[in-house]
Amino acid sequence: MSRTSASEIMRAVAGAVAIVLASAALGVLVNHLSDRGIPVLPEPGQERLALALPAGLQPLPVAEAAGLVGRAGVLFLDARTAVDYEEGHVPGAVGFPPGSFEDRYLDLADQIESASRVVAYCSGMECSDSIELGQRLLEVLPGPIYVMEAGWAGWKAAGYPVEVGAEP
Amino acid sequence: MTVTRAGTRVWAGHPAVGALCRLLLGGVLIYAAFPKLLRPDEFARLVYGYRILHPDLVNLVGITLPWVELVGGALLAVGVAPRSSALVAAGLLGTFMVAGFLALLRGLEVSCGCFFPFMGDHKLGWDLLVRDGLLLLPALQVIVWPSSFLPGVCGTQHD
Repeated sequence: MSRTSASEIMRAVAGAVAIVLASAALGVLVNHLSDRGIPVLPEPGQERLALALPAGLQPLPVAEAAGLVGRAGVLFLDARTAVDYEEGHVPGAVGFPPGSFEDRYLDLADQIESASRVVAYCSGMECSDSIELGQRLLEVLPGPIYVMEAGWAGWKAAGYPVEVGAEP
Repeated sequence: MTVTRAGTRVWAGHPAVGALCRLLLGGVLIYAAFPKLLRPDEFARLVYGYRILHPDLVNLVGITLPWVELVGGALLAVGVAPRSSALVAAGLLGTFMVAGFLALLRGLEVSCGCFFPFMGDHKLGWDLLVRDGLLLLPALQVIVWPSSFLPGVCGTQHD
């Protein structure tokens, strides 16, 4: 094994720190110049969890969403797979995976267009299917579309009622 | 660099092994960086899903981490400052392992977020921690026996 002096190790560590800092600075710069850039830090008045939500989509906390279940004019859209939907979903929610947007929208157009509030959700905070669905809906609806960011995981963890089974 | 033990070259320190380790690990880091660079918003949400960072820091990490992967991976593959870039790679792998370990310990069901597409990606599991652990071996090789495709880089030990 090669002999490595303490000064060589210190130089290597300093070099590693320099690489990390330079790369991070490059990332912030490119993000600033990019169309796909996201805010680096929360903007004043903006909900923390809405940091990465595109324009037209509004975050909806689970507790608030729970208060909307069963209310007239409110439509929950489950953006997960049909299998996940069958295993459990928000009561009254309709399955709508964004991958089959055109076909599914035709099926649900009446319900969606007559709803006063549309709430989309997917598996949890880390998924983006609800955001994708919301963005597709904004192409045909004036918005805003609400996104329950904590998703199914947040709903279950909070202990709210669950409906099981496929759609009728 | 000549690597000897009692006059015998140690195979693990052979320059060809070093080149292989750098290309393997550098290539994996570059490959992993691209989807995150293309979808920083999606990656930031994945980072949030691990529930480790304060929400205020999630976007910053989502923006900067892929660039650290890309630059660190490229420098490592070519052999610019090999020991330093291998330390960066080891730091990234160590961070991923700690984050994954904490997520598994708390029973979180999250995607690994390693490669593209994120959502069709491997669910985080112990196998991924083992994979990251195995990738530490090539990083260790380069840290101990730095090598480079560039002439003079390792002879002068300027990293």
